[in-house]
Amino acid sequence: MRLQLRGALVLASAAAVLLAGPGPVRAEGDASARMTVFRESSKLKGNDGITVFHPQVDASGTLGSSLQVTAGWNADIVSGATPAVYGPVTGPDAISSATRFTDTRNAAHGGFDYMSGTVSLSAAYEYAQESDYKSHAVSVGARGDLFDRNLTLALAYTHNFDSVCNNNNTNVQGPLDLKPLPTSKHCFQNQPDVVTEPLDIDTLEPSLTWTATPRLLLQGGGTIQILDGFQSNPYRSVLVGNQHRTPQENEPRYRQRYAAFLRTAYALPALRASLSLMGRAYRDSWDVRAGTGEIDFQKYLATFLLLRVRGRYHQQTGAVFFRTGDEYRSKGPAGQYWSGDRELSPMHTILFGGKLSYLQAAQQGQALLAVFNELELALKFDYLIYGLDSTCPVGTDCGPNGDRDHAVLLQVAFALKF
Amino acid sequence: MDLRSCFRAAVAVLALTGLCLGAGGCATRRYAVKPSEREYLADRIMRFDAEPQEEAAEQHVLTNREGAMGGSGTAGGGCGCN
Repeated sequence: MRLQLRGALVLASAAAVLLAGPGPVRAEGDASARMTVFRESSKLKGNDGITVFHPQVDASGTLGSSLQVTAGWNADIVSGATPAVYGPVTGPDAISSATRFTDTRNAAHGGFDYMSGTVSLSAAYEYAQESDYKSHAVSVGARGDLFDRNLTLALAYTHNFDSVCNNNNTNVQGPLDLKPLPTSKHCFQNQPDVVTEPLDIDTLEPSLTWTATPRLLLQGGGTIQILDGFQSNPYRSVLVGNQHRTPQENEPRYRQRYAAFLRTAYALPALRASLSLMGRAYRDSWDVRAGTGEIDFQKYLATFLLLRVRGRYHQQTGAVFFRTGDEYRSKGPAGQYWSGDRELSPMHTILFGGKLSYLQAAQQGQALLAVFNELELALKFDYLIYGLDSTCPVGTDCGPNGDRDHAVLLQVAFALKF
Repeated sequence: MDLRSCFRAAVAVLALTGLCLGAGGCATRRYAVKPSEREYLADRIMRFDAEPQEEAAEQHVLTNREGAMGGSGTAGGGCGCN
């Protein structure tokens, strides 16, 4: 992983130098590299949990007075273990073993922003690929400042043309006969034992920002997302019914998701700090309903040192077709759908963390390292607690991945502006 | 795709946007913040989009670990992360 971060830093610095250009005629821009490590450990012996390394490199440059171009790359390097069958935690059918897996996802993106007066238009494209999933995402956006720049209206739209590898279940009699995908070995290779399922995603995000007072910013907006296609985990099976059948996870192919949020930032100049609050309400057509709240405090400890601390709480209900493993065994499925996805179960999360940033700006007439105007180094740590709210037999964790009750995120970042 | 639901959603969004613009416009004319009064607002700790790369990484984690999404403006490439 040190090689990954070193390579990312070299790439970011090279991009910055190239975009800066030689001589007196120079573009403006910035380059940044970041590495996030996500670690979710298991309480079970012999279960490695999940570890994800997420490197990111981004660069942007201004060409002339109206055009800004951006490009970047990020990846997910995933390893861990997860149960291949979601089932009960008690009785002879209790599921305790986990299947090990590793995978790498690479994503590259590019785009541009065109600015004219108080209006800007943007467009971007991202391609992402892993062994069993491919994604093409096209985004367009518009942004306008109104009423002496006291209001900013923004609208963004993204369409995903995604492809998911799945086991070839073309000739099955019904959903209880669906077989899981055993391995991604033959994915996207026109082999007869696998198929490629489409997944189209449309996302619309309007927002309105209001400069309410010299110290107060308010922002409201929402997200509307429509997913049409294969959305189950192709590797996961669910034990349903007292005949102990374990068909592939079967989630509906259509989902509408809605979220509305409100956030505020208030300046505290006497403390050289700011306080931010955010609230979000969410609902979707699978009947998952959620509320999220966040508080964020940032303060300059010195001119070159910025501290951020925050807390976040999220609470959600489960999907209408979700049941615990014991309930799937005793009652069977809720209709024709079943899932072992923790994110579709009733649950809550608590996150708290902090970030320390070292900031260095060029003094008048003297650039940093002869080229740059600003430099930033940051270290961030977050602790995420999962609380599964399924009704379980006494003394058991019967929700999906009930053996994992927390995760840690560590992030190191490096950014340059010129 | 359910076109009727899409249409209803789009109308709701536009109506809400128009309402906000109308309310904001009325408030703004009377209580507009002048450029000379924006010194605190220009600081990075007052900007919602100060760290887009960090926000993208965070949303990537949270949308794959929770059942909700949205409200951050970082839609992009999909993944088989379930």
